Amino acid sequence: MAYGVDNSLRIEDFCKNLRVEIISMNEEDIEFDIVGIDAAIANAFRRILIAEVPTMAIEKVYIANNTSVIQDEVLAHRLGLLPIKADPRLFDYKSEEENANEKNTIVFKIDVVCTRKGERVLNSSVTSDQMKWLPEGSEMPFNTMTKFTSFGSSQKNLPGLPAEGISCQYPDIIVAKLRPGQAIELEGHAIKGSGNIHAKWSPVATARYRMLPEVNLMEDIQGKLAEELVQKCPTGVFDIEDVGTVKKAIVARPRNCTLCRECVRGTDWDKRVQLTRVKDHFIFTIESTGALRPEVLFTEAIKILNEKCHRIITELS
Amino acid sequence: MNAPDRYERFVVPEGMKKVAYERDMKVMNAATFTLQREDHTIGNILRMQLHRDPSVLFAGYKLPHPLQYRVVVKAYNLAITDLTKELDHLKATFEQETNQKQAEYY
Repeated sequence: MAYGVDNSLRIEDFCKNLRVEIISMNEEDIEFDIVGIDAAIANAFRRILIAEVPTMAIEKVYIANNTSVIQDEVLAHRLGLLPIKADPRLFDYKSEEENANEKNTIVFKIDVVCTRKGERVLNSSVTSDQMKWLPEGSEMPFNTMTKFTSFGSSQKNLPGLPAEGISCQYPDIIVAKLRPGQAIELEGHAIKGSGNIHAKWSPVATARYRMLPEVNLMEDIQGKLAEELVQKCPTGVFDIEDVGTVKKAIVARPRNCTLCRECVRGTDWDKRVQLTRVKDHFIFTIESTGALRPEVLFTEAIKILNEKCHRIITELS
Repeated sequence: MNAPDRYERFVVPEGMKKVAYERDMKVMNAATFTLQREDHTIGNILRMQLHRDPSVLFAGYKLPHPLQYRVVVKAYNLAITDLTKELDHLKATFEQETNQKQAEYY
């Protein structure tokens, strides 16, 4: 059939034209270029990274004792927003009716009392490193015969777990502040979810993309005009090239351009410089909150998009 | 107040089909697909892929209401009468593209 041939040619073209280049990468951020995809796909990846890649976050907080000035619900809300350094791929989703077991829940405990020791006050602020991981499950006392979690085995033996265990990604986040005599004793249960339910489950601080700016010089800009142009640009897009005896302006670093349009201000400049964007060159920046490495996040996003398409295809046929 | 549960964004309830397909009564070779529990993420990509096919005359998508999570895709195609197969092919090419991209990325 005619369209069959069209499609296979298109895929080959697509593979030939596709180019991925990583500009910078570290534990938390990644900046990379993708050339050859369409804006709809780039936006789909951005949307999936923000809303559909799952993470673990505290959902249920069982408060045994809270004599601080922070209200229970405010405290629970703050705990939910703490980023948890656990690979969500090791865990399953948990529904309301299911029991909490070692496959779908992570249990944390905070047990802090603020005391006065002579002149000093100890534990005046509860930080996220005081949130201890309980790999054996809930330690809440049995009351009315309700067992909060039924862990079959210790989570310490979960394969793929980091050596230090599960904790909050950043140890210095202040959760609450206490004065002498106040105490907080609670247990938080973290489950797997995705950003479209609640933003606490979003794995990225943000994921954004921009298209590569294209700066074209419509005519030869030489001499004093060239120097003026180099001066105008606040991010150093232009440069002077000495061709023989004449100084010519060239576009050296279009990537730095922020499209501020300083170079087209003034008389006649908009006839000399043209600012557009390259239609299929996307510069992605992904800032992870720590659960997964940023490049892993992107491959997960691709898998999720794949799954979505599969689901629709299977429904169709 | 009016907003439905967040779970409604992606959980298709029992008895409801994910994709529904209706032929257009007034125009030949035109059809409307309704995808339940989807949003712009898929809708925009589908529309883009349909645009790329030269035999598709018209393709568009909309979300009839932001609080009702469904996407309606309308396509008008000259050569092929079975639009379901058409979408099938397009999705297959798309998933191959994403697979390729994954391979490239490694």
